[in-house]
Amino acid sequence: MLKNRVKELRARYGLTQSDLGKQVDVTRQTIAFIEKGEFSPSITLALKLAKSLQTNVNELFWLEEDGNEK
Amino acid sequence: MKNDFRLQYPLWMMGFIVVLGMFAYGISSPVTEIVNTDTEQSIMIELEPVAGFIVVGTAVLYVAMLATFIFQLLRHNRKNPTQKVSPFSIRPLEYLEQDEGMTYITRKASQKVYTFMSWSLPLLAVFAMVTPLPRLFIVWGILLVALIQYVIYYVEIRKHFKEEVE
Repeated sequence: MLKNRVKELRARYGLTQSDLGKQVDVTRQTIAFIEKGEFSPSITLALKLAKSLQTNVNELFWLEEDGNEK
Repeated sequence: MKNDFRLQYPLWMMGFIVVLGMFAYGISSPVTEIVNTDTEQSIMIELEPVAGFIVVGTAVLYVAMLATFIFQLLRHNRKNPTQKVSPFSIRPLEYLEQDEGMTYITRKASQKVYTFMSWSLPLLAVFAMVTPLPRLFIVWGILLVALIQYVIYYVEIRKHFKEEVE
């Protein structure tokens, strides 16, 4: 399952879902879907999110298997 | 987003289908008399009082709903110039495709509808062939399938918009 730190990093930079959505050119709802884990973004969007949140994709997204977290 | 016209579109369609079903009942019950002789040609359609009321009432309701629908559609297009919808578009108006997240949930909902249609339409066709039901029931069957497809689509889309937290 794809896990992410989008919500955590977004909060760290004081961004709302709308703010982040505008930065990466998607709707607020799409940011919410990603944060809830309902939707796995494309590589392009993942790269854009990582850039906006000043991190890299590996730090932002990771696969969690059998309860083993990163 | 919750008030987006495209989200409400399935509700409109459900409403139109229900009214159409009532209208079908009204026009299915008139007494028709056709006279075609050498000296006289006439067609007389006589509606029962209740059926007549249903036909006129649902027709008026349909027109009123259509006017409100068009008003809402134009308002949506005015407020969202980059995401205009056209009533004459071949693509369903309820599709949300402004980004990959919206496209994803639209695809999920459409898959559920397609699954339902893939077995409900053949089932309805068999049902219509083997049962000696009046035409009205066949029409209601088709409208019911159309209604359920919008319910499936709407429920699936709404599920993703619940508990939206900024």
